[in-house]
Amino acid sequence: MKMEVDPALIGQEYDHTTFAPVTEAEIREYVEASNEIPASEVDVEDLIAPPTFVVRLRGRRFMPGGMPRMGRTGFDAGKDIEFGVPVRPGDVLTASSTVHDVYEKTGRSGSMAFIVLRTVVTNQRDQLVATIDQKMMFR
Amino acid sequence: MAQASGADVIDVGYEIGPLALTLSGAEVKRYALAARMFGGRFMGDEEARREGFSAQVVPGNMSLSLLSRLIGRTFPNGVLQRLSATFRALIHPGHALVVRGVVTEVHRTDHGDVLECDLVIESGDGERLVTGTASVQLPPAG
Repeated sequence: MKMEVDPALIGQEYDHTTFAPVTEAEIREYVEASNEIPASEVDVEDLIAPPTFVVRLRGRRFMPGGMPRMGRTGFDAGKDIEFGVPVRPGDVLTASSTVHDVYEKTGRSGSMAFIVLRTVVTNQRDQLVATIDQKMMFR
Repeated sequence: MAQASGADVIDVGYEIGPLALTLSGAEVKRYALAARMFGGRFMGDEEARREGFSAQVVPGNMSLSLLSRLIGRTFPNGVLQRLSATFRALIHPGHALVVRGVVTEVHRTDHGDVLECDLVIESGDGERLVTGTASVQLPPAG
């Protein structure tokens, strides 16, 4: 699979989305569905979201325009998240997404293309909430 | 599943978990909706087959959440600083899973220990479906 990616796309912001304030209901829904924090240990006075709550953020554009078609099927191959301050009800989160890396690999099942999309999430105080690297694989 | 108490000294080789579980299709759908992952593959077998999958699929984000759950249950006073996962195979509901890990490095600091951990989600027959790593900041002893 030959990829011809415009080098200018790497590092260029392709999405910048500010979300509606996080609600207590959204955090509770995620707590209950993920069971990441036992419900019995949820601090009702100081509710914070489980760490992986940030993966539910969806910007307006998942991929940048101008990317070549890379294979027939895309898969979520993995994620790497660095966490900053926790998310609380009322937080207004902003996600900025860039193409962090594009590369090819050849494995037993043939040639695969990978794209790493980096999303930096900050809150209304400009504090870093998370840096999420999402690796998409195409074959 | 063992929980590290505040008095425990965690060293390299400390075993995390295991957490044994079987996800139901309803749990997977509930997670997908809460995580705003509305793809049919996450909703049920029939919807997944329409998208070319053999059965309902567990979202990668849910696997990530299972790894976070393992860390949170083992180190309830710890703070997850970094979590990474590689999704090596599709996971379908209804199959036994084992989530486990091991501490591979311990960095002693004035602000408490920072643990580096290797993590894995295995199938009932030991296939490594998801591999990952985590960094966890523990509070200072005492």
